[in-house]
Parts: sequence; structure tokens; C-alpha cells
Amino acid sequence: MRILLAEDDPLLGDGLRAGLRQSGFQVDWVRDGVAAERELRAEPYAAAVLDLGLPQKDGMAVLTSIRRAAVKTPVLVLTARDAIPDRIRGLDLGADDYVVKPVDLHELAARLRALVRRAHGQPEERLAAQDVVLDPASRTVQRGGVPVTLAAREFDLLHALMLNAGRVLSREQIEQHLYSWGQEVESNAVEVHVHHLRRKLGNDLIQTVRGVGYIVPREGAAQ
Amino acid sequence: MVLVLGVVTAVWIAAAVFTWRDARHELDELLDGHLAQAAALLVVQQARELEDDRAADAPVLHKYAPKVAFQVFHEGRLALRSPNAPELPMAEVGRRFKTGFRTVEIDGVAWRVFAAHGAERDVQVYVSEQVDSRGAILWAVLRSAVWPMLLALPLLALAAWWAIYGGMTPLRRLGRALSERRPQALQPVVLPDAPSEIQPVVASLNDLFERISGLMDAERRFTADAAHELRTPIAAIRAQAQVALGEADAAQRRHALEATLEGCDRATRLVEQMLTLSRLETGAAALPGRLDLGDIARQVAAEAAPRAIAREQVIEVSADAPCPVMGDATLAGVLVRNLVDNAIRYSPARAKVKISVSRDDRTVRLVVEDSGPGLAPADAQRLGERFFRAMGTGASGSGLGWSIVRRITAVHNASASVGTSAQLGGLRVEIEWPAAR
Repeated sequence: MRILLAEDDPLLGDGLRAGLRQSGFQVDWVRDGVAAERELRAEPYAAAVLDLGLPQKDGMAVLTSIRRAAVKTPVLVLTARDAIPDRIRGLDLGADDYVVKPVDLHELAARLRALVRRAHGQPEERLAAQDVVLDPASRTVQRGGVPVTLAAREFDLLHALMLNAGRVLSREQIEQHLYSWGQEVESNAVEVHVHHLRRKLGNDLIQTVRGVGYIVPREGAAQ
Repeated sequence: MVLVLGVVTAVWIAAAVFTWRDARHELDELLDGHLAQAAALLVVQQARELEDDRAADAPVLHKYAPKVAFQVFHEGRLALRSPNAPELPMAEVGRRFKTGFRTVEIDGVAWRVFAAHGAERDVQVYVSEQVDSRGAILWAVLRSAVWPMLLALPLLALAAWWAIYGGMTPLRRLGRALSERRPQALQPVVLPDAPSEIQPVVASLNDLFERISGLMDAERRFTADAAHELRTPIAAIRAQAQVALGEADAAQRRHALEATLEGCDRATRLVEQMLTLSRLETGAAALPGRLDLGDIARQVAAEAAPRAIAREQVIEVSADAPCPVMGDATLAGVLVRNLVDNAIRYSPARAKVKISVSRDDRTVRLVVEDSGPGLAPADAQRLGERFFRAMGTGASGSGLGWSIVRRITAVHNASASVGTSAQLGGLRVEIEWPAAR
């Protein structure tokens, strides 16, 4: 899952990026409000962590303008201001969650996963398709109750497809989910990952739509 | 209240005592005069009319008569007396007769006696009056003066109590209003019907409230700002420590641990700056002495040099000698250190930081300039706001430094100004300090 981190404090930003990566997120880090708005408008992030005290453009202002531009990316506001009116204002302006510093990295990751899940209309933490169950929190996959070992990229790809079950994702969309800035993307990486996933989980789960992309059919809709 | 009543009672008692003494004196004189007059009349009368030796009783003519008595002796024998007068002479007759006033006791009753004799001493007259009757008159006089006063005293007490209670009501209301206040409530006291006597009290009280309120507002704002500002380094420390805990890769773990330490240093610096500022703002007195700004600049540069060198920056001091000013050496050090630290922190690697100290007749001028990015005009405007930091520099700082600089210059009648360095292109801060003689 690829998220945008907007935090101007170098030490905190570095720590959050490293911590979220440990939790399996792909993290792009911007340090000011203008860059945050630009990236949120340009890229389909699964979610964003937005500090309110950003230079050049305040976090609240970023939130207001992306919501006005109909960017639906779930936004978790991270701030030092914990007064209730601040929280209310943040949530009213279109924040999906509001977390006061300092924050536990595991909690932050869980909140981000919950935001992403809700944004995809998934009420449950675990995602299921056919006999495959994916748990984003523990980053584990089971097939018929038996644990299946997946590489990090394979897990992320499956996660993206299962979150968007019933929708076709193009190779570019999948790449955007898998890679943060500065990561080398090999031209046939997605094909290779899909190939490995089919070998481990069976051929039926991920279906190819020729010339368009891949899909995990929604339960009941496929047959 | 007690005081007022006490004074009134004392004055009243004193008045009664004086009245009594005066009245007694006047009464004595008047009545003695009457006695003497009566005696003279009797003497004259006797000399002419009572030639026979028969003792006679005079008629009783007035209800007051029993209280007065007289005896007339002719050649040593009682010739005439009032019915209540004894047959024996009231005092000696004959040769040992003495004229004048005296007080004698007859049958256990004290009498005031006046003795007189005729021209040839054959007629001797005693006229007397019961001393008690004088007392009764005196008491009657006094009573008429005292009774109204005795009646007036409770009324007076009531009136005094009412007046004092009434007069104190606004004060009491003020006291109650103050005692019922929460310690945080510092809005002005409003007593619309307070008499003009206590208006100055209310005004000074409100003035005090306003000053305390201002101080507390500043304190509250500072505390809130400080708490928020500390949250970020603490969040960074927590995040980095948690990353280190969960990191399998040794190099990554080491990086996170180093970042944790850096976060601790930053939080420490922030706390130190807050304490410095807080001490400055609560008005901790500066200890003025003679100091040389050039010396201080060299000391600070020497301390800061290792940090500059670590970033491959060049730090340079040029100071006229001597540059004496009056001031607190510790505070002056804090001031220069803040400026130099700021220049090093906000300038990129390989930048140049220059400290120059110069003097003319009236001013010592300290300039710290660097080849860093400088400040946008909008940022320069906000420089004084506490916790504002120039953003987008990639450096960490709280923005407290500038507040400290401004406070220290204010304490020393010095001035600070910010501009762009013509020579190095970055930030230029100039401190003008009155030169010591």
C-alpha cells in the first residue's frame, strides 16, 4: 500500500517513513504543504498522513483544497494540537482521522489500514476471496486455512487486487500501489509477481483481462 | 463601631463629671451667699426688735423650710430659732464664737452653717442648711442633664451602627465578591453603587487584576505553545526508537538509534531555550558589569567552531579592540550564541559565517551574517513570533532563539535588526549596543 507522508520535521518524518515501511507501506515523503497538495492531486495514494504545521501551505489549507478538487484519498491528520475545536475543524475539513503526536507506529499503521479498508467499503479487517484470506495487519495469507508464504511485493499486489475486488487494475495502477519514489520498477515485474501468486494460490484467483489488466472477482459475482 | 461608642461614652462621662463639678461649685457659692444673706438679715432684725429675752419659734413658711434652720442668740441665750433648729447652739456661742462657714453634724445629719454676729457681738446668729439638700439639688441638676444623654446613648449606638454598617456595605460586598472568586477569575470588579470613597480601591484593584491577567495570559500561552512544540521532538524520538526496535537490518537500526539520540538533544535544547526565555520574561534581573563584546564573540565562535567545521562551514571573527559595553556577561553570551548557532544551523554545508564587532563613539555594533538562504520578507516579519521557525530549510529549530535575542537586547537597551548580508548573501543580524565609556 502506498501512502503519502507530509511532515516537515526531518527527524519525525524519517522515523515515520521507516516505521511505516516496517509495517509494509510504501511511503512517499514530502516536507511542505505545496508538495503535499501536488502529489495528492497527481497520484492515487491509498492514504495520506498530513502534519498540520506544514511550511508554505498549512495542512488545513491542503486538506481544504484537495477535498475541493474531489481528491478522495483518505487523510490522517497528525498534529501537536489536541484541543477539541482543532480536532473538530480538522474532521470537518475532510480529514478521515485525527492523531495527536506522539503516536505509536503500530497504531498509526492500524489506523491507516482501517482508513484504506473503509475507503474501499470493506467493513472487515481481513479480506477474503474464494479460499484465500488476506490479513493486512499481520501481513499473512492463508489458502484453505493453510498459511502461504508470500514475498512483500506479492503480498502488496494481492492486497491491492483484493481491496479492489471486482475491479480491473491496470499494470500502471498496480505499479503505483507497489512502488514508492526512487524504487526501480522493472518492466515485467507485475507479470512476474502475478505468475508467482498463481503458482502459490491457484490460477483462478487472479484473472487476466487481456490488454487491460488484472482482476480478483468479487465473491459470488464471478461464477 | 466599638471605638465610636467607646469615645461617645467617654465624652459623655467627662461632660457629666464637669457638669457635676461646676454645678456643685456654683450651687455652693449661691447657697452660701443665701445663708450669709439670711444671717445678715437676722442679725439686723434681732438688733432692733428682739430686745426681750424670750426664745421664740419662727413660723414655717415653705416646704423647703425643714431643710434650713436658724438660731439667734442674744447675750449667749437662745432668742429665736426655726422649728427644726436644736435648742443647743449649733456651734460655740459666747466668747469662743467664730463667724464664717463650717460644716457640722447635728443628730447624725450634716449641716452647712454660717455664723454672724451683730455690731456689738451680743447678737449671735447661726443660719444652716442640710448638706443633703444641696446634694439633692445637685443631683436634680445633674439628672436633668444626664437622663437625655442616657436615653440618647442607645439611639446614638444604633445610629452609629447603622451609619457604619451602611458605609461599610460596599466594602463588605467587595470583600465577598473577591473571596468568592476562583483564582483564575481576573475580570474587573464592578460595584456600580459604590461610594466615591472606595472607588480608588476598586480602580487600583482592577488595575492589578489586569496586570496579573496579562502576565498569566502570557504564561498560559507560553505553556501551551511549549507543550505543543515539545510534542514533535518527542514524537520523533518515539517513532525512531520504535523503528529501531522493529528493524532487522543493523545499519538501519543504528540510523534509527542515532536519530533517537538526536531527537533527545533537540528536545533538550528546546527545553533549555524555553527556560532561558522564561527566566528572561519573569524579569530575572540582569547583573550589569563592564564586558567586551569582542571577547564574547571570540569565545562563542571558539565554542561553535567544531559544529561549523563538522558541516564544513567556515566561521570567522573580526573584532575591533576593545568594544566595551555595560551588560550581563552571561546574557550577552546567550545572545551571541543564539545568533551564531542560528547562522550555523540554517546555513548549508560549506557556508560561511562571519561575526564582526566594531565600535564608534556611542555604539558597539555586533553583526552576524552568513551565506545561507536568508529570510523571505514575510518570514522576517514573523521572526518575532515565538515558535515560528523559518520553514523549508531542512534544519530543526524552535524559533525560540530570536525571542531570546530580542528579550536580551531589550533588557540592555540594545536593538536588533534583521536584513540580508550584502557581502555573503544570507541572513544578517545586527545588534546595536550602547558603548560603555
